[in-house]
Amino acid sequence: MAMRSQVYEWDGSRGTPGTTLTMLGRSLSIFIGGVGNNITMPASTTATQFVVIEEIAATPTYFGIRTNITGTSARGLTGATTNAYFGPLAYAQIVINTTEYFQDPDNVSNYGVPGAASPYPRSVNFQPSFSLHPTVYVLPGQTWDVRYTTFSSNAGVAAGDNQCFTKYTLYDGPDSLIANKLLEMGITVNPGNVDWYKRSLLSAASAPAPTNGA
Amino acid sequence: MAMRSQVYEWTNLAPTTTGSNIRQSNDPQSVSIDANKALDIFIGGKGTNITQPASTTATQFVVIEDIASSPQSGGALNVRINTTDYFQNPDVTQQAGVPGLASPYPRGTTSDGATSNNDATVPTNAIVAGDNVLPSFSLTPEVYVLPGQTWSVLYTCTSAIVGGTAVKGGGLGVVGAFVKYTLYDGPDSLIANKLLEMGITVNPSNVDWYKRSLLEQQSRAAMMTATNGGA
Repeated sequence: MAMRSQVYEWDGSRGTPGTTLTMLGRSLSIFIGGVGNNITMPASTTATQFVVIEEIAATPTYFGIRTNITGTSARGLTGATTNAYFGPLAYAQIVINTTEYFQDPDNVSNYGVPGAASPYPRSVNFQPSFSLHPTVYVLPGQTWDVRYTTFSSNAGVAAGDNQCFTKYTLYDGPDSLIANKLLEMGITVNPGNVDWYKRSLLSAASAPAPTNGA
Repeated sequence: MAMRSQVYEWTNLAPTTTGSNIRQSNDPQSVSIDANKALDIFIGGKGTNITQPASTTATQFVVIEDIASSPQSGGALNVRINTTDYFQNPDVTQQAGVPGLASPYPRGTTSDGATSNNDATVPTNAIVAGDNVLPSFSLTPEVYVLPGQTWSVLYTCTSAIVGGTAVKGGGLGVVGAFVKYTLYDGPDSLIANKLLEMGITVNPSNVDWYKRSLLEQQSRAAMMTATNGGA
Protein backbone atom coordinates (compact mmCIF):
# COMPACT_ATOMS: atom_id res chain seq x y z
CA MET A 1 0.00 0.00 0.00
CA ALA A 2 2.60 2.51 -1.12
CA MET A 3 0.20 4.95 -2.74
CA ARG A 4 -2.99 5.62 -0.81
CA SER A 5 -5.91 7.99 -1.21
CA GLN A 6 -6.63 9.54 2.19
CA VAL A 7 -9.32 11.80 3.65
CA TYR A 8 -9.77 13.74 6.88
CA GLU A 9 -13.07 15.23 8.02
CA TRP A 10 -13.28 17.73 10.87
CA ASP A 11 -16.44 18.76 12.67
CA GLY A 12 -16.37 21.49 15.31
CA SER A 13 -19.05 19.70 17.36
CA ARG A 14 -17.16 16.45 17.88
CA GLY A 15 -14.37 15.62 20.34
CA THR A 16 -13.96 18.87 22.25
CA PRO A 17 -17.04 20.74 20.96
CA GLY A 18 -16.36 24.29 19.87
CA THR A 19 -18.21 27.31 21.19
CA THR A 20 -18.59 30.77 19.69
CA LEU A 21 -15.88 31.91 22.10
CA THR A 22 -13.37 29.25 21.07
CA MET A 23 -14.04 29.46 17.34
CA LEU A 24 -15.08 32.93 16.19
CA GLY A 25 -12.36 34.62 14.15
CA ARG A 26 -9.73 32.07 15.18
CA SER A 27 -7.60 30.19 12.71
CA LEU A 28 -8.01 26.65 14.08
CA SER A 29 -5.95 23.65 13.07
CA ILE A 30 -8.34 20.88 12.11
CA PHE A 31 -5.70 18.38 13.27
CA ILE A 32 -4.49 19.75 16.62
CA GLY A 33 -6.49 22.94 17.21
CA GLY A 34 -8.09 21.74 20.44
CA VAL A 35 -11.61 22.14 19.02
CA GLY A 36 -13.70 19.42 17.41
CA ASN A 37 -12.23 16.06 16.51
CA ASN A 38 -8.43 16.15 16.55
CA ILE A 39 -5.49 13.80 16.06
CA THR A 40 -2.61 13.08 18.42
CA MET A 41 0.16 15.09 16.74
CA PRO A 42 0.69 17.61 13.91
CA ALA A 43 0.39 16.22 10.40
CA SER A 44 3.85 15.67 8.96
CA THR A 45 5.71 13.51 6.51
CA THR A 46 8.61 11.21 7.39
CA ALA A 47 11.75 10.95 5.25
CA THR A 48 10.02 8.24 3.20
CA GLN A 49 6.65 9.92 2.70
CA PHE A 50 5.34 12.39 0.16
CA VAL A 51 1.86 13.92 0.42
CA VAL A 52 -0.16 15.56 -2.34
CA ILE A 53 -3.12 17.61 -1.09
CA GLU A 54 -5.81 17.46 -3.74
CA GLU A 55 -8.85 19.05 -2.17
CA ILE A 56 -9.92 21.22 0.74
CA ALA A 57 -13.48 22.25 1.50
CA ALA A 58 -15.50 23.84 4.30
CA THR A 59 -19.11 24.49 5.31
CA PRO A 60 -20.65 26.90 2.78
CA THR A 61 -22.39 30.24 3.28
CA TYR A 62 -25.52 31.51 1.53
CA PHE A 63 -25.72 35.19 0.55
CA GLY A 64 -29.30 36.42 0.17
CA ILE A 65 -31.75 39.28 0.31
CA ARG A 66 -33.91 39.55 3.42
CA THR A 67 -37.33 41.18 3.27
CA ASN A 68 -38.48 39.78 6.62
CA ILE A 69 -37.14 39.84 10.16
CA THR A 70 -38.11 36.41 11.46
CA GLY A 71 -36.46 33.53 9.59
CA THR A 72 -33.10 32.32 10.89
CA SER A 73 -32.46 29.53 8.41
CA ALA A 74 -31.95 29.26 4.69
CA ARG A 75 -30.95 26.23 2.69
CA GLY A 76 -30.03 24.31 5.83
CA LEU A 77 -27.75 27.06 7.14
CA THR A 78 -28.35 29.30 10.13
CA GLY A 79 -27.98 33.07 10.40
CA ALA A 80 -29.12 36.10 12.38
CA THR A 81 -32.49 37.76 11.87
CA THR A 82 -30.60 41.04 11.51
CA ASN A 83 -28.57 40.04 8.48
CA ALA A 84 -28.90 38.23 5.18
CA TYR A 85 -26.08 35.69 5.21
CA PHE A 86 -26.59 32.16 6.47
CA GLY A 87 -23.78 29.81 7.44
CA PRO A 88 -20.44 30.21 9.18
CA LEU A 89 -18.59 32.53 6.72
CA ALA A 90 -15.91 29.86 6.84
CA TYR A 91 -12.52 29.59 5.15
CA ALA A 92 -9.94 26.79 4.90
CA GLN A 93 -6.23 27.56 4.60
CA ILE A 94 -3.28 25.19 3.97
CA VAL A 95 -0.07 25.76 5.92
CA ILE A 96 3.23 24.06 4.98
CA ASN A 97 5.76 24.36 7.82
CA THR A 98 5.11 28.04 8.63
CA THR A 99 4.01 29.24 5.18
CA GLU A 100 0.36 29.90 4.43
CA TYR A 101 -0.51 28.78 0.91
CA PHE A 102 -3.34 31.12 -0.08
CA GLN A 103 -2.61 34.83 -0.37
CA ASP A 104 -4.55 37.87 -1.53
CA PRO A 105 -3.42 39.76 -4.64
CA ASP A 106 -1.48 42.15 -2.35
CA ASN A 107 0.73 39.15 -1.41
CA VAL A 108 -0.58 39.07 2.15
CA SER A 109 -1.84 35.75 3.50
CA ASN A 110 -5.61 35.45 3.70
CA TYR A 111 -7.89 32.98 5.45
CA GLY A 112 -7.90 30.55 2.53
CA VAL A 113 -10.59 29.09 0.32
CA PRO A 114 -14.15 30.22 1.22
CA GLY A 115 -16.63 27.46 1.98
CA ALA A 116 -18.94 29.10 -0.55
CA ALA A 117 -16.30 28.41 -3.25
CA SER A 118 -15.43 24.89 -2.09
CA PRO A 119 -18.41 23.61 -0.10
CA TYR A 120 -18.48 20.58 2.17
CA PRO A 121 -20.69 18.70 1.81
CA ARG A 122 -21.50 19.42 -1.82
CA SER A 123 -25.18 19.62 -2.72
CA VAL A 124 -27.40 20.90 -5.49
CA ASN A 125 -27.62 24.18 -3.57
CA PHE A 126 -23.88 24.42 -2.97
CA GLN A 127 -21.54 23.36 -5.75
CA PRO A 128 -17.80 23.99 -6.05
CA SER A 129 -16.40 26.99 -7.93
CA PHE A 130 -12.87 26.00 -6.95
CA SER A 131 -10.58 23.03 -7.55
CA LEU A 132 -7.09 22.78 -6.11
CA HIS A 133 -5.06 22.73 -9.31
CA PRO A 134 -2.08 22.65 -9.26
CA THR A 135 -2.18 20.38 -6.24
CA VAL A 136 -0.11 21.12 -3.12
CA TYR A 137 2.98 19.01 -2.39
CA VAL A 138 4.19 18.23 1.12
CA LEU A 139 7.78 17.07 0.74
CA PRO A 140 9.50 14.50 3.00
CA GLY A 141 10.19 15.94 6.45
CA GLN A 142 7.70 18.81 6.22
CA THR A 143 4.84 19.60 8.60
CA TRP A 144 1.46 20.58 7.18
CA ASP A 145 -1.81 21.81 8.47
CA VAL A 146 -5.30 22.85 7.39
CA ARG A 147 -6.74 25.82 9.30
CA TYR A 148 -10.45 26.57 9.60
CA THR A 149 -11.72 30.07 10.39
CA THR A 150 -15.35 31.10 10.93
CA PHE A 151 -16.64 34.66 11.18
CA SER A 152 -20.27 34.17 12.15
CA SER A 153 -21.42 33.55 15.70
CA ASN A 154 -24.96 32.95 14.45
CA ALA A 155 -24.23 29.84 12.40
CA GLY A 156 -24.53 27.48 15.38
CA VAL A 157 -22.10 24.96 16.82
CA ALA A 158 -24.11 21.77 16.35
CA ALA A 159 -23.06 18.81 14.21
CA GLY A 160 -22.62 19.89 10.60
CA ASP A 161 -22.56 23.63 11.35
CA ASN A 162 -18.76 23.88 11.09
CA GLN A 163 -17.07 21.26 8.97
CA CYS A 164 -13.86 21.00 7.02
CA PHE A 165 -12.63 18.28 4.67
CA THR A 166 -9.34 17.49 3.03
CA LYS A 167 -8.46 14.84 0.47
CA TYR A 168 -4.84 13.89 -0.13
CA THR A 169 -2.73 11.09 -1.53
CA LEU A 170 0.05 9.58 0.56
CA TYR A 171 3.04 8.17 -1.30
CA ASP A 172 5.15 5.94 0.92
CA GLY A 173 8.43 4.01 0.57
CA PRO A 174 9.58 3.49 -3.04
CA ASP A 175 6.63 5.48 -4.37
CA SER A 176 7.78 8.46 -2.31
CA LEU A 177 11.19 8.24 -4.01
CA ILE A 178 9.47 8.14 -7.39
CA ALA A 179 7.33 11.13 -6.40
CA ASN A 180 10.51 13.08 -5.60
CA LYS A 181 12.04 12.02 -8.92
CA LEU A 182 8.94 13.20 -10.80
CA LEU A 183 9.11 16.51 -8.96
CA GLU A 184 12.75 16.96 -10.04
CA MET A 185 11.73 16.18 -13.62
CA GLY A 186 8.93 18.74 -13.53
CA ILE A 187 6.26 16.09 -13.94
CA THR A 188 3.02 16.34 -11.97
CA VAL A 189 2.93 13.91 -9.07
CA ASN A 190 -0.19 11.81 -9.38
CA PRO A 191 -0.87 8.05 -9.29
CA GLY A 192 -0.92 7.81 -13.11
CA ASN A 193 2.52 9.39 -13.49
CA VAL A 194 4.01 7.28 -10.66
CA ASP A 195 2.76 4.16 -12.42
CA TRP A 196 4.14 5.44 -15.72
CA TYR A 197 7.58 5.94 -14.11
CA LYS A 198 7.51 2.41 -12.70
CA ARG A 199 6.60 0.97 -16.10
CA SER A 200 9.42 2.92 -17.78
CA LEU A 201 11.90 1.59 -15.18
CA LEU A 202 10.67 -1.97 -15.77
CA SER A 203 10.85 -1.67 -19.55
CA ALA A 204 14.39 -0.23 -19.28
CA ALA A 205 15.42 -3.14 -17.04
CA SER A 206 13.94 -5.78 -19.34
CA ALA A 207 15.41 -4.27 -22.53
CA PRO A 208 18.24 -6.33 -24.08
CA ALA A 209 21.72 -5.15 -23.09
CA PRO A 210 23.39 -3.08 -25.82
CA THR A 211 25.99 -4.99 -27.80
CA ASN A 212 29.32 -3.24 -28.04
CA GLY A 213 30.99 -5.79 -30.24
CA ALA A 214 32.99 -7.33 -27.40
CA MET B 1 5.78 27.10 -4.24
CA ALA B 2 6.37 28.84 -7.56
CA MET B 3 3.03 28.02 -9.13
CA ARG B 4 0.06 28.45 -6.84
CA SER B 5 -3.69 28.25 -7.16
CA GLN B 6 -5.16 31.35 -5.47
CA VAL B 7 -8.63 32.59 -4.62
CA TYR B 8 -10.15 35.91 -3.60
CA GLU B 9 -13.62 36.39 -2.17
CA TRP B 10 -15.31 39.75 -1.80
CA THR B 11 -18.51 40.35 0.16
CA ASN B 12 -20.28 43.61 1.01
CA LEU B 13 -19.67 42.81 4.68
CA ALA B 14 -17.72 44.96 7.15
CA PRO B 15 -17.64 45.53 10.92
CA THR B 16 -20.02 48.47 10.55
CA THR B 17 -22.73 49.23 8.01
CA THR B 18 -20.47 51.67 6.19
CA GLY B 19 -16.99 51.31 4.84
CA SER B 20 -14.70 48.36 4.52
CA ASN B 21 -12.34 46.06 6.34
CA ILE B 22 -9.10 44.30 5.42
CA ARG B 23 -10.42 40.77 4.83
CA GLN B 24 -13.37 39.29 6.75
CA SER B 25 -14.44 40.42 10.22
CA ASN B 26 -16.39 38.81 13.07
CA ASP B 27 -20.19 38.97 12.71
CA PRO B 28 -19.96 41.53 9.91
CA GLN B 29 -22.82 43.72 8.72
CA SER B 30 -24.03 44.46 5.25
CA VAL B 31 -22.79 47.62 3.48
CA SER B 32 -24.94 49.47 0.93
CA ILE B 33 -23.86 49.35 -2.72
CA ASP B 34 -25.04 51.90 -5.25
CA ALA B 35 -26.69 50.73 -8.45
CA ASN B 36 -24.87 50.98 -11.78
CA LYS B 37 -21.55 52.04 -10.27
CA ALA B 38 -18.49 49.88 -10.87
CA LEU B 39 -16.93 48.96 -7.53
CA ASP B 40 -13.36 47.66 -7.26
CA ILE B 41 -13.61 44.50 -5.15
CA PHE B 42 -10.00 44.87 -4.00
CA ILE B 43 -9.78 48.51 -2.92
CA GLY B 44 -13.28 49.92 -3.56
CA GLY B 45 -13.77 50.94 0.08
CA LYS B 46 -16.87 48.78 0.57
CA GLY B 47 -16.96 45.35 2.20
CA THR B 48 -13.91 43.11 2.39
CA ASN B 49 -10.84 44.73 0.84
CA ILE B 50 -7.07 44.32 0.65
CA THR B 51 -4.27 46.74 1.48
CA GLN B 52 -3.25 47.88 -2.00
CA PRO B 53 -4.25 47.49 -5.67
CA ALA B 54 -3.68 44.03 -7.10
CA SER B 55 -0.54 44.06 -9.21
CA THR B 56 2.22 41.81 -10.38
CA THR B 57 5.91 42.39 -9.64
CA ALA B 58 8.63 41.94 -12.28
CA THR B 59 8.85 38.25 -11.30
CA GLN B 60 5.15 37.43 -11.18
CA PHE B 61 2.67 36.34 -13.82
CA VAL B 62 -1.04 35.93 -13.05
CA VAL B 63 -3.59 33.92 -15.00
CA ILE B 64 -7.21 34.71 -14.07
CA GLU B 65 -9.22 31.52 -14.55
CA ASP B 66 -12.64 32.22 -13.11
CA ILE B 67 -14.79 35.13 -11.98
CA ALA B 68 -18.23 34.76 -10.43
CA SER B 69 -20.71 36.90 -8.49
CA SER B 70 -24.04 36.72 -6.71
CA PRO B 71 -26.83 36.64 -9.32
CA GLN B 72 -29.29 38.74 -7.31
CA SER B 73 -29.78 42.47 -7.94
CA GLY B 74 -28.33 42.18 -11.44
CA GLY B 75 -24.76 41.68 -10.24
CA ALA B 76 -21.96 41.44 -12.80
CA LEU B 77 -18.16 41.37 -12.83
CA ASN B 78 -15.62 42.86 -15.20
CA VAL B 79 -11.84 42.45 -15.26
CA ARG B 80 -9.68 45.55 -15.70
CA ILE B 81 -6.00 45.31 -16.69
CA ASN B 82 -4.24 48.62 -16.10
CA THR B 83 -6.97 50.90 -17.51
CA THR B 84 -8.56 48.51 -20.02
CA ASP B 85 -11.82 46.69 -19.30
CA TYR B 86 -11.78 43.13 -20.62
CA PHE B 87 -15.47 42.61 -21.39
CA GLN B 88 -16.91 45.03 -23.93
CA ASN B 89 -20.07 45.34 -26.00
CA PRO B 90 -19.91 44.39 -29.69
CA ASP B 91 -19.77 48.10 -30.51
CA VAL B 92 -16.71 48.43 -28.26
CA THR B 93 -18.61 50.39 -25.61
CA GLN B 94 -18.40 49.76 -21.89
CA GLN B 95 -20.46 47.04 -20.21
CA ALA B 96 -20.79 45.63 -16.69
CA GLY B 97 -19.16 42.32 -17.57
CA VAL B 98 -20.14 38.73 -16.84
CA PRO B 99 -23.58 38.57 -15.16
CA GLY B 100 -23.90 36.61 -11.94
CA LEU B 101 -26.67 34.67 -13.66
CA ALA B 102 -24.07 33.40 -16.16
CA SER B 103 -21.34 32.80 -13.58
CA PRO B 104 -22.99 32.48 -10.15
CA TYR B 105 -21.29 32.56 -6.76
CA PRO B 106 -21.80 30.31 -4.90
CA ARG B 107 -22.72 27.87 -7.65
CA GLY B 108 -26.22 26.54 -7.09
CA THR B 109 -27.44 29.69 -5.35
CA THR B 110 -30.83 31.30 -6.06
CA SER B 111 -31.24 33.83 -8.85
CA ASP B 112 -33.08 36.32 -6.61
CA GLY B 113 -31.33 35.77 -3.26
CA ALA B 114 -34.56 34.57 -1.64
CA THR B 115 -34.26 33.82 2.07
CA SER B 116 -37.80 32.62 2.71
CA ASN B 117 -40.85 31.23 0.97
CA ASN B 118 -43.24 33.94 1.96
CA ASP B 119 -42.50 37.16 3.79
CA ALA B 120 -45.86 37.24 5.56
CA THR B 121 -45.68 33.76 7.11
CA VAL B 122 -42.07 32.83 7.66
CA PRO B 123 -41.61 29.76 9.82
CA THR B 124 -38.49 29.74 12.00
CA ASN B 125 -36.69 27.21 9.86
CA ALA B 126 -37.98 28.20 6.49
CA ILE B 127 -36.92 26.28 3.44
CA VAL B 128 -36.00 28.77 0.79
CA ALA B 129 -37.92 28.39 -2.38
CA GLY B 130 -36.06 29.07 -5.53
CA ASP B 131 -33.89 27.85 -8.26
CA ASN B 132 -30.30 26.72 -8.51
CA VAL B 133 -28.22 28.89 -10.83
CA LEU B 134 -25.44 27.02 -12.60
CA PRO B 135 -22.69 28.54 -14.74
CA SER B 136 -23.31 29.25 -18.42
CA PHE B 137 -19.90 30.85 -18.72
CA SER B 138 -16.29 29.77 -18.32
CA LEU B 139 -13.35 32.12 -18.70
CA THR B 140 -11.67 30.48 -21.69
CA PRO B 141 -9.24 31.70 -22.87
CA GLU B 142 -8.02 32.88 -19.50
CA VAL B 143 -6.92 36.45 -18.83
CA TYR B 144 -3.17 37.06 -18.45
CA VAL B 145 -1.74 39.73 -16.17
CA LEU B 146 1.83 40.29 -17.29
CA PRO B 147 4.70 41.28 -14.98
CA GLY B 148 4.38 44.88 -13.81
CA GLN B 149 0.69 45.26 -14.64
CA THR B 150 -2.08 46.34 -12.27
CA TRP B 151 -5.40 44.54 -12.33
CA SER B 152 -8.75 44.84 -10.70
CA VAL B 153 -12.16 43.19 -10.75
CA LEU B 154 -15.19 45.46 -10.84
CA TYR B 155 -18.62 44.60 -9.41
CA THR B 156 -21.71 46.35 -10.74
CA CYS B 157 -25.36 45.79 -9.76
CA THR B 158 -28.40 47.07 -11.63
CA SER B 159 -30.44 47.62 -8.45
CA ALA B 160 -28.94 49.03 -5.26
CA ILE B 161 -27.95 46.68 -2.44
CA VAL B 162 -29.44 47.74 0.86
CA GLY B 163 -27.07 47.63 3.82
CA GLY B 164 -27.59 48.05 7.53
CA THR B 165 -29.91 45.98 9.69
CA ALA B 166 -32.88 44.00 8.48
CA VAL B 167 -36.29 45.65 8.68
CA LYS B 168 -39.53 44.17 7.44
CA GLY B 169 -39.86 44.84 3.75
CA GLY B 170 -36.43 46.47 3.70
CA GLY B 171 -34.68 44.10 1.32
CA LEU B 172 -31.39 43.90 3.20
CA GLY B 173 -28.87 42.31 0.86
CA VAL B 174 -25.59 40.42 1.05
CA VAL B 175 -23.68 39.76 -2.15
CA GLY B 176 -20.35 38.17 -2.93
CA ALA B 177 -17.84 37.89 -5.72
CA PHE B 178 -15.15 35.32 -6.36
CA VAL B 179 -11.94 35.27 -8.39
CA LYS B 180 -9.82 32.19 -9.01
CA TYR B 181 -6.34 32.74 -10.44
CA THR B 182 -2.97 31.04 -10.64
CA LEU B 183 0.13 32.94 -9.54
CA TYR B 184 3.39 32.04 -11.29
CA ASP B 185 6.36 33.34 -9.35
CA GLY B 186 10.14 33.39 -9.88
CA PRO B 187 11.42 30.93 -12.54
CA ASP B 188 7.88 29.81 -13.36
CA SER B 189 7.00 33.41 -14.21
CA LEU B 190 9.88 33.47 -16.73
CA ILE B 191 8.61 30.22 -18.24
CA ALA B 192 5.09 31.67 -18.42
CA ASN B 193 6.46 34.64 -20.37
CA LYS B 194 8.36 32.29 -22.68
CA LEU B 195 5.19 30.25 -23.34
CA LEU B 196 3.34 33.47 -24.10
CA GLU B 197 6.01 34.42 -26.65
CA MET B 198 5.70 30.96 -28.20
CA GLY B 199 1.91 31.30 -28.43
CA ILE B 200 1.30 28.41 -26.04
CA THR B 201 -1.42 28.61 -23.40
CA VAL B 202 -0.03 29.38 -19.95
CA ASN B 203 -1.25 26.70 -17.57
CA PRO B 204 0.45 24.44 -15.00
CA SER B 205 0.73 21.49 -17.43
CA ASN B 206 2.43 23.55 -20.12
CA VAL B 207 4.83 25.11 -17.61
CA ASP B 208 5.76 21.58 -16.48
CA TRP B 209 6.14 20.50 -20.11
CA TYR B 210 8.53 23.40 -20.76
CA LYS B 211 10.61 22.45 -17.71
CA ARG B 212 10.82 18.85 -18.90
CA SER B 213 11.92 19.92 -22.37
CA LEU B 214 14.66 22.09 -20.83
CA LEU B 215 15.87 19.14 -18.75
CA GLU B 216 15.85 16.85 -21.80
CA GLN B 217 17.91 19.39 -23.76
CA GLN B 218 20.41 19.62 -20.91
CA SER B 219 20.79 15.85 -20.60
CA ARG B 220 21.19 15.52 -24.41
CA ALA B 221 23.90 18.19 -24.37
CA ALA B 222 25.68 16.39 -21.50
CA MET B 223 25.59 13.08 -23.43
CA MET B 224 26.97 14.76 -26.55
CA THR B 225 29.83 16.24 -24.53
CA ALA B 226 30.62 12.84 -23.02
CA THR B 227 30.49 11.13 -26.44
CA ASN B 228 32.90 13.70 -27.85
CA GLY B 229 35.42 12.91 -25.11
CA GLY B 230 34.66 16.04 -23.18
CA ALA B 231 36.15 18.17 -25.94
